[in-house]
Amino acid sequence: MRRIVIGEGSCGIAAGAAKVQSALEPLLKEAGIPVGITGCIGMCYLEPIVDIYEDKTLVRRLVRVSEADAPAIAAALAGEDLSALDALTIQPDDEAFLKKQTRIALRNCGIVDPTDVIDYEARGGYEGLKKVLSGMSQEEVIDVIKVSGLAGRGGAGFPTWFKWDAARKSQSKNGSKYLICNADEGDPGAFMDRAVIESDPHNLIEGMMIGAYAIGATEAVVYVRAEYPLAIVRLENAIEQARAAGYLGRNICGSDFSCDMRIKAGAGAFVCGEETALIESLEGHRGMPRLKPPFPAQAGYWQEPSNINNVETYANVPWILTHGGETYAQMGTETSKGTKVFALTGKVVRGGLVEVPMGMTLRDVIFGIGGGIRDGRKCKAVQMGGPSGGCIPYEMFDTVIDYKALAATGAIMGSGGMVVMDETTCMVGMAKFFLDFTTKESCGKCVHCRIGTKRLYEILTRITEGNGREGDIELLEELCVAVKDGALCGLGQTAPNPVLTTLRYFRDEYVAHIEKKKCPSLECAALLRYEIHADKCIGCTMCARNCPAKAIDGTVKKPHVIRQADCIRCGQCLASCRFGAITVE
Amino acid sequence: MCQCSQQKSDLSLLAPVLEKYAAVPGSLITILQKAQDIYGYLPTDVLYAVAEATGDSPAKVLGVATFYTQFRLQPVGKYLIMQCQGTACHVNGSERISKAITEELGIRDGETTADGLFTLKDVACLGCCSLSPVMMINGETYGTLTPEKTVKILRSLKEQAGKEAQG
Amino acid sequence: MSEIRITIDGRECIGQSGETVLTIAKRNGIDIPTLCFDERVKIYGACGVCLVEGEGMPKLMRSCATEARDGAVYHTDTERVKRARRIAFELLMSDHEGDCLGPCKLNCPAGTDCQAYLKQIAQGNDTEAVKIIKDHLPLPASIGRVCPHPCEKACRRQYVDEPISIAFLKYFAADNDLFSGNKFMPEIAPETGKKIGIIGGGPGGLTAAYFLRKKGHEVTVYDQMPYFGGMLRYGIPEYRLPKDGILQKEIDSIAEMGVKFVPNYKIGRDESLEDFRARHDATVVAIGAWTSSAMRCPGEDLKGVFGGIHFLREVIEGGRPAIGKRVAIVGGGNTAMDACRTAVRLGAEKVYVIYRRTEAEMPAEKIEIAEAREEGVEFKFLCNPAQIVGENGRVKEVKLQIMQLGEPDASGRRSPVPVEGAFETLQVDSVIAAIGQYVDAAGFEAIEKNRRGVIAADEHTFRTNLPDVFAVGDATNKGADIAIAAIGEAGKAADVIDSFLRGAEVPYVKPFVSERKPEDIDFTVWESYPRAQMPARPGEERRCDFAEVNKGFDEETARREAARCLECGCHDYKDCLLIRYAQREQVLDVKRLAGEKHPNYTEERLVVIERNQGKCVTCNLCVRVCDEEVGIGLLGLVGRGFTTVIKPEFNTPGATDVCRTCLKCAQACPTGALRILFDQNGVRIPVSAKKRA
Repeated sequence: MRRIVIGEGSCGIAAGAAKVQSALEPLLKEAGIPVGITGCIGMCYLEPIVDIYEDKTLVRRLVRVSEADAPAIAAALAGEDLSALDALTIQPDDEAFLKKQTRIALRNCGIVDPTDVIDYEARGGYEGLKKVLSGMSQEEVIDVIKVSGLAGRGGAGFPTWFKWDAARKSQSKNGSKYLICNADEGDPGAFMDRAVIESDPHNLIEGMMIGAYAIGATEAVVYVRAEYPLAIVRLENAIEQARAAGYLGRNICGSDFSCDMRIKAGAGAFVCGEETALIESLEGHRGMPRLKPPFPAQAGYWQEPSNINNVETYANVPWILTHGGETYAQMGTETSKGTKVFALTGKVVRGGLVEVPMGMTLRDVIFGIGGGIRDGRKCKAVQMGGPSGGCIPYEMFDTVIDYKALAATGAIMGSGGMVVMDETTCMVGMAKFFLDFTTKESCGKCVHCRIGTKRLYEILTRITEGNGREGDIELLEELCVAVKDGALCGLGQTAPNPVLTTLRYFRDEYVAHIEKKKCPSLECAALLRYEIHADKCIGCTMCARNCPAKAIDGTVKKPHVIRQADCIRCGQCLASCRFGAITVE
Repeated sequence: MCQCSQQKSDLSLLAPVLEKYAAVPGSLITILQKAQDIYGYLPTDVLYAVAEATGDSPAKVLGVATFYTQFRLQPVGKYLIMQCQGTACHVNGSERISKAITEELGIRDGETTADGLFTLKDVACLGCCSLSPVMMINGETYGTLTPEKTVKILRSLKEQAGKEAQG
Repeated sequence: MSEIRITIDGRECIGQSGETVLTIAKRNGIDIPTLCFDERVKIYGACGVCLVEGEGMPKLMRSCATEARDGAVYHTDTERVKRARRIAFELLMSDHEGDCLGPCKLNCPAGTDCQAYLKQIAQGNDTEAVKIIKDHLPLPASIGRVCPHPCEKACRRQYVDEPISIAFLKYFAADNDLFSGNKFMPEIAPETGKKIGIIGGGPGGLTAAYFLRKKGHEVTVYDQMPYFGGMLRYGIPEYRLPKDGILQKEIDSIAEMGVKFVPNYKIGRDESLEDFRARHDATVVAIGAWTSSAMRCPGEDLKGVFGGIHFLREVIEGGRPAIGKRVAIVGGGNTAMDACRTAVRLGAEKVYVIYRRTEAEMPAEKIEIAEAREEGVEFKFLCNPAQIVGENGRVKEVKLQIMQLGEPDASGRRSPVPVEGAFETLQVDSVIAAIGQYVDAAGFEAIEKNRRGVIAADEHTFRTNLPDVFAVGDATNKGADIAIAAIGEAGKAADVIDSFLRGAEVPYVKPFVSERKPEDIDFTVWESYPRAQMPARPGEERRCDFAEVNKGFDEETARREAARCLECGCHDYKDCLLIRYAQREQVLDVKRLAGEKHPNYTEERLVVIERNQGKCVTCNLCVRVCDEEVGIGLLGLVGRGFTTVIKPEFNTPGATDVCRTCLKCAQACPTGALRILFDQNGVRIPVSAKKRA
């Protein structure tokens, strides 16, 4: 039977998928062709995406569909010949985007209907949980995870089994233990966790319940960030379905194990991605980190033993339980096992969600899967790990994806943000962007972070505005090291990384800003100088008419001149000149 | 936090929320979220009512309400523009979009236009990176923005609001 | 609990299991800085200044939150720890705005604590005031009369109305003490047996004697003149400072401490410097600058031409130099004023002051200029002697080159330039050159001089090239200056010499303090109350004699004047942990991390506490104490990140009932951000009362 499925993750909807759905539904209703949804297919750059299935087989994928395409699609679907849709159909190059990936955490994303537990079960869902509850001991479960080599996918890469085991062994004071999912995905440029929850919420629930059993948790809590309303709706729905199906609540799958799950919506604070701050927030306080020790495994939520992992970590667990730890451990490198999901964005040709085995090189991902840089520009660097990470220069793209190898570059694996930059991105500006972020997100508790990141931001700002001073680079370095050493939690301790890595690999850009008052990437407006070349200007007056500051003088058919003192460096003149008479440097 | 503003909110709207959550430990954030859903923001008298019901000190309630960016202590405009400050948006020129909004509406982050129509708020990554630069207005996402496109969207909203006011 | 042994900075320390590194360190006398730790509340770990490094540990640890492990080795002084700690203090100072000390004290070369003694004067405790003054300045009655008072130039009260009359209040309190019959006498430390010889009995020498004697050393002061006091005695006219009535009485007090005085004694004549040194463990050279500078114009050798300070000295010694009826004094400083007013008192009928710039540039005190005018002195600005013309070897007239002001020079003053061909002639009988003075260091050839022929002394140790010889005052470095400058150097030198004699020399280093800029302060909250005027004898009367011009403040005026103090300096300076540790970590440069600061405002909480946001370091101790220790939770953090502030809930109706006014928050505050508005007796401290409502 023929049916269609529309990719409706947040970004599909943002791109217009829901509108496509409402346009298609009435047209296909007559033809008796059902319209279903799925979550994020991962090819964000091709959204909205409409998949045509014959029974369980995907026969054609339509991309960049708009409402206007609906009649044509309906007409083609009514007949046998789909070739009328060739123009909308995905190209082989784009298909390679998915084919080069190895999807475990994302295995159901873009395939199952996230609103339907039966669809999940049909894909082998909840088999892992059933297996665990039909006779495995807690130690055995943890052992499988240990063998798999699964490490925390939130960024730090701490072995998952170790945390589980610590929480399992830890004595509860009043009988409660908590399993918490950190879905406060705050790195700007990372959206893997959102995609998993929106696209495959039961996978998360199953992974969490396996973990809950392993540590002996009495309650599971998912802390979802406030900016993800769709994820909350889908997860709420899934929790209800799972509870009804006996995967949550009392005597799960008929076993002695009981554990329920609830969602706690965050309220907008990046620092709550730090596990102790997250616990503070769960308890209804300001999200300010606690001192460690004690670690959450000893005294976490309500001072009881608590285990916290992020979404992607849990999303790997059901697969590991059904396929075995060894199978998972076969993928990856000596020190990093399995796969990792990345949100590939920035100046890359094909952006979206990418899951690859550890050990692939950055080049494989960015060029092999992502297709390289848009508009034929030169690649400069990739930013990994968000505000805690760093920029890895193009010259080092043979670095393999591995916790250790990435850490050696000064960046980190991070939660999976991979923002690709071309030659037009100023690296000082990039560092400033992240410090602006951390300054705003610092909780304000400790001095090194509260004032230190603020001062770093201020120094970077003056450099990008042409007011950099001699000694600023050294001052940045000294301050960065002190902030790393002195800050209380991970946010502050890693906040200087974007500055340190750009200083390490792009020091010449800093020097150019400070000494020559030039921005080599032509991004820092304060350092730009637009000029009209008299030999090329024919006096068409276009630039003068477009200049919002009225800073261009000249009469018709005479070369024009920019009054530099009044120029606001907006670039309108350059954009409006059709004779190549205006340059910027 | 001063009560001298003589604010009077209809606290009966909040009663069911307080009834359900006030006694549940750790529910302060949830209560504030629900309160904001009701009132559109968190009026001072509502914060005091929450404090009284939960037993938290008003100082603590205000501390929590001012820690999280989701909470607003002032009413927002008819259109809440959430401008994404994510990395991909930055790389793809979100600063020019901010500038365009500020030039068109005369407001900066956190401010509301005098006519009460628009509030601009910088937000952390909205997660639509492949559509960057992105803004979200009252739940609707607008992607691959250019300054011109942004201005067009704002003007059409203004027009729409004008029509609604007349009609 | 079991005993554990840990090593901190190479010292073995014993503690109990479960104790933190900070606790064990404190008990063992190792002072690890901390601002946010308080035993009464839960460990918080915010300030980040208690960082230590543990051997084998990759990360620095907060000692307040780190449980000590038996056998572990910790360091508080590695380069890594010091960097992180110093930066923490620099960051804290970069967002800290307050005056550690009053600008009056900071601008006083001797560091006299004006704010503190004004408070005592305002409350009627003159002897207590003198005790505070004498911590820095042993001659308050004399200096109070003659000091050009840099303190008043810095006084913030000038931005409300006029500066406080600090110097005259000092003279008021010191006179009251001196003649009270129960004057303040400092305690003398146990005898050390060390002998100190001081050459020169002026303000510098006397001050060195006072402080070194106080520390228990055997001190003798030598002077080439028959009486002591140096320039205070021989350079300042009697009408400004009564010599026997005041100066000598203050010197007598120093003698009563056990300091010996040997007059008429000159190095090089009576004893060689070498022999003198051999008799003493340390020598202080404070010989001043006693030679008048020459005008360098023709006719200077005529009869009737005098050097300013020579002229003054001669008169003070009872001489009556033949100056005639018409006198020209050259120069615009205080010596010129003393000379012209002395000339008036000697009976001159026409007294001119010749100054090459204008009145605005005159370095003399405004009051001195005004009083000289009252006494009939005529000022001639923008001219300079080109030649002194004589007749029969005596001055007949002075030919003046007319000047105009040119471009500002390095000091910012516009320098005078001659107007070509423009001259004026004044008929005069004598010319007194009061344009400067220099050092006569005969007998001190063994001591190195700088390029200007002045003794070179180290600015941190005051030591000359000779290891046991120290030098202060006009004879050193920058040359002649005001008396209080010499007193300031002498006081600091005394500390260095004392530590040197005790075997562990501590050089003087100007301590780092936090200072506000006047332009950042709102002075409109203060009510205007004009400065008290010093009552003086009328010009007509006083120009005929050398009796003191000023009559002194009456009691009511003095008390009220002292109460005008704005109390700029922080009430908590002595107890402030932030500044104590910042000074210890040698935070000197706050500019390099300067940036946005919290807005600085002051708010009153209930009626008991004043909170100053500028001084708050967001350690959250007040919040935690009120919450955890007192159990009320009236305070809270508001906002997040850099802009976080602590807000009281005191606007709540009924909060006055909720607050127990236990004051624990203010007591816990590590800085001066919280100030209790009541004294020990429950009396409201009056400072804010003077503010406008």
